[in-house]
Amino acid sequence: MKPAHKAMGGLQVELGDNRVLPLGEDREQLLVVDDSELNRALLANIFEGEYGILEAGDGREGLEIIRREGERLSAVLLDVVMPELDGIQVLRRLREAGLTQRLPVFLITAETSGAVIREAYELGVMDVISKPVVPYVVQRRVNSVIELFRARRRLGAEVERQRDELLRQARQLVELSVGMVEALSAAIEFRSDESGQHVRRIHDITVHVLRRTPLGAGLTEEEIGLIGMAAITHDVGKIAIPDAILNKPGRLTAEEFEIMKTHTVQGARLLSQIPQMREHAAYRYAHDIALHHHERWDGRGYPQGLRGEEISIWSQVVALADVYDALVSKRCYKAAVGFDEALDMIRTGQCGTFNPRLLEHFWRVEPEIRRLYLPERT
Amino acid sequence: MDPMKQERLQEAGVDVDEALERFMQNEALLMRFLGRLPADPTFGQLCAAMEAGDAQAAFTAAHTLKGLAGNLSLHRLHQAVSRQVELLRSGDAAAAAELMPEIRAAWQAAADAVT
Repeated sequence: MKPAHKAMGGLQVELGDNRVLPLGEDREQLLVVDDSELNRALLANIFEGEYGILEAGDGREGLEIIRREGERLSAVLLDVVMPELDGIQVLRRLREAGLTQRLPVFLITAETSGAVIREAYELGVMDVISKPVVPYVVQRRVNSVIELFRARRRLGAEVERQRDELLRQARQLVELSVGMVEALSAAIEFRSDESGQHVRRIHDITVHVLRRTPLGAGLTEEEIGLIGMAAITHDVGKIAIPDAILNKPGRLTAEEFEIMKTHTVQGARLLSQIPQMREHAAYRYAHDIALHHHERWDGRGYPQGLRGEEISIWSQVVALADVYDALVSKRCYKAAVGFDEALDMIRTGQCGTFNPRLLEHFWRVEPEIRRLYLPERT
Repeated sequence: MDPMKQERLQEAGVDVDEALERFMQNEALLMRFLGRLPADPTFGQLCAAMEAGDAQAAFTAAHTLKGLAGNLSLHRLHQAVSRQVELLRSGDAAAAAELMPEIRAAWQAAADAVT
């Protein structure tokens, strides 16, 4: 018993190592494992018209053939009482190697003991056929299971193909919707005479800060992706601001500024009125960012005057990215300033007060963010 | 099949029609295995094991003989040896031994009929 187990251990590894086996309809071989030549001859005689027949005189030889032929076998017909390894031991090996799922195994037995039959079923045999065999019964039962396994393989391949197709379409849809959102936002930016690059950079800076600093702690990569997408629509409310105010060179009057400030509330409302947007996973971020990207840490921002941690971390990051990008870019009301000067202006609170922790981490990654502008500046 | 041969086999307890059905009317194959019967060692092994009082070996031999008789439709032999297998399974060696003359007669008749 001992040496047999040792040998089996080696075989099991070989069975389990997922050799690439040819699939498809060319596996027209049947393996008969029985120590009685008469039994093998009887079964071979029944099936040799339809299948190539392989024979093994004991369990060990049977396992060797299964290992060699793998899924080129259509089915295995297995005797129970055999020298070397008996049928139940063979079954256990096949089950451990996960083969009973892919290769239908039939127990052909004179054994009428309920316990053996029950164990065989539990180990994954497809059917138990009693000896002496009745040819048309064996034929019908074996062939219908083989056909079932064939159909299952075809179906499995088809399901896999369809799943790939669905995933491809889902990816396409995501790309399309990101593209639409970007196009819409860029159109709004163009209207205010800003470069369409602004929304792309806000996206990139926000994602970079959340991904590379502890500010994004607790957010999954997927959530950061959604926040990046949500950052793109931060200024979508500007569509409701009259051209005269949006594109006014120089300072706005107090009254004009009040109108300008409403782009936050207008943006959030706009987003909430698009049903497809409401159901989008990015909606909760998009709505929050559109509404709160002008709030400030000291409560002196707008529209709600939130302060400190009342402002979500993503809205804080987008607010800083927005200010930074506005400073280093040329706008209708101002010229571009240098990167160092922009950092100075932010540090000295000339664009409102930011979370000190946010500034600390932003400063650390700012050299990398600066590189995002290189292609344009050189 | 030659009617004379068939009759001889029937008289020796061989259900020829059933056997041919199992062999899918492959008469040559059936005759090949029937022809090997006289030289088959299983019956001799059963006798030796019973005489030596080796219950395990007797069970194994009886079990094999039962399978052989079943496959070749040796009805008389199959019935007798099936009863013996059950007696040996339940540990009743004495009752199993009492079946030996009947088994011997059935085996001999079949072996004679195929030669």
